[in-house]
Amino acid sequence: MRSWFDTRCVDDVRPGDHAWFPYSGAEERDHVVGPFVAGALKTGEKLLYITDAAPELLPGLGGLDPAPYTGSGQLRVLRRAESCLDRAGGFDPDRLSRTVEREVEQGYDAGFRAVRVTTDYTWLFDGRADIAGLLGCEDRLAHAVSPSTVAMAICQIDRRRCPPDQLAALAATHEVLVEVNPLFDDGTPKIARSFAPRGLRVEGELDAARHAVFTEHLGRLLADRRGVHLDCSRLGFLDLGALNLLARYARTLRAGEALILDDLPANVENVIDMVGWHRLPGLVRGSVRGAADGGATA
Amino acid sequence: MSLTHRALLYDDRDGFLAATSAFLRQGVEEGRAAVAVVREPNLAALREELASYGDAIEFYDSAEFYRHPVRTLKSYLELVERKAPLPVHAVAEPVWDGHDARQRVEWVRYESLINVVFANCDASSLCPYDRSALPADVVDQVRLTHPLLTDGAEHRDSEAYTDPVSFGAICDRGRRFERPDDAEYLAIESDDLQPLRLFVASRANAHGLTPAAAQNLVTAANEVAANALAHGVPPMGAWVWTAGDDLNCEIGDHGHWRPGPLTGFVPPRSALDTGFGLWTVRLLVDLVEMRGGWGGTFVRLRVRR
Repeated sequence: MRSWFDTRCVDDVRPGDHAWFPYSGAEERDHVVGPFVAGALKTGEKLLYITDAAPELLPGLGGLDPAPYTGSGQLRVLRRAESCLDRAGGFDPDRLSRTVEREVEQGYDAGFRAVRVTTDYTWLFDGRADIAGLLGCEDRLAHAVSPSTVAMAICQIDRRRCPPDQLAALAATHEVLVEVNPLFDDGTPKIARSFAPRGLRVEGELDAARHAVFTEHLGRLLADRRGVHLDCSRLGFLDLGALNLLARYARTLRAGEALILDDLPANVENVIDMVGWHRLPGLVRGSVRGAADGGATA
Repeated sequence: MSLTHRALLYDDRDGFLAATSAFLRQGVEEGRAAVAVVREPNLAALREELASYGDAIEFYDSAEFYRHPVRTLKSYLELVERKAPLPVHAVAEPVWDGHDARQRVEWVRYESLINVVFANCDASSLCPYDRSALPADVVDQVRLTHPLLTDGAEHRDSEAYTDPVSFGAICDRGRRFERPDDAEYLAIESDDLQPLRLFVASRANAHGLTPAAAQNLVTAANEVAANALAHGVPPMGAWVWTAGDDLNCEIGDHGHWRPGPLTGFVPPRSALDTGFGLWTVRLLVDLVEMRGGWGGTFVRLRVRR
């Protein structure tokens, strides 16, 4: 798979971003699409959502009545039949491109400071998919959105429903990978929800200066039973105090449960191997980081 | 249930083989877990002598087992846990060559620490010392670190045996703590320790430590600095300097912490126990020296490339 020009949390998606969002389930999807929708309505931007779902069921409305927004044209919810299908009901990539280009132009003319576009392509992968057509359409979208100063798009797909080679081909037509907003981010570390498997992702360096904020989110995660995985794939450093803290929180789990540390960097794994995993009751080694990545020093 | 910790002072190969093989045979006959950790060429000779016992006796080369005193203590603890509920019955022969004077002190201290770490353990250890070949100071201190002595023929109590806390204090007496004037210094002025980690990592890499050794030093220095921030008194800072193959990193503050002689030496049962941090620091680097007094608290970490 190509490497991204950029990975951005959803609140940082900006005009010119043609963003790719492969999600692993409804919970993760709503944590990205929700803020994308809510952000548009809150900041006076137009939102085009191509879906067969009813407007009031869109993520991010939070109980808000969509009628005033659809009435004013700020929220455009187009059914697939009126935006991207041909007369026979098949996917028409050309029509999708034209729809997006038209709606962006109209939004700009109407004075919206930006136009957000989103749709979920998962329905295409039910066996009848014209992946070649979709790839061409995505290229065209990329050319329409990337140089734009008003348009930004998030293309959603349920990664579980899409064959890996097609997922990779689709990914390659995007410049930005979008992910969930962090729960905490002050440069280092960054703490975010993770969804497959469910838990937290800790990025950067975690030391005593950030133990309090880390325990706050870890405590909430475990109390709400929102997962027991700690994604350490972007972790550079974890101090000994944090190991003590993890072991303390692991004690709050039910019998038979453990806090699972995935993709530990070499420096942390080395420390744990040295002291022995049995001295960290309730913590277990999860998936192992790729051999190519030796971890970071500091 | 308590430890039997006896030194065997022997003069030649025959004396060694007679005493150690009798000890191991006794262990097997009593249904204990018989283990021999012995230096070559005695190891090969002992294996041959006890070949008829097959797998009933485990053999290890001391050269592999005795590389780092704090890690060796941990290895023996793991051995005891692995063999449980069988009590361990071990011939345990440390290595005494290839050390500088400072390292030798730590290995002597190690023998003393055995008495604390395994105090409540039904293990039996026979520690062979070649009094015809080992340095006189090593042989002299056997009486201080082993409560029981034998020459193979006669068992006796060691009247000079010194409890590990007192002995640790003796080990620490007379240490010298010069720090060169040109040591690099980094002040620790906030609880964000990233600058310290970068400071230590860059010096460790420049000194040619392996990536793993450099990362371990960074983790150790971070822990000591975090302790200083939590319990110490400003000003705080870190000095780094080299001495031959050694890289030294010292972290100091103006507090009055006076670490006891056993601080960080006794393996904690888990990360939840107090002392886990300093014990791990001792595992991560080659040597840790702590000193406290009116001038402040200083923890010195040493790693050899």
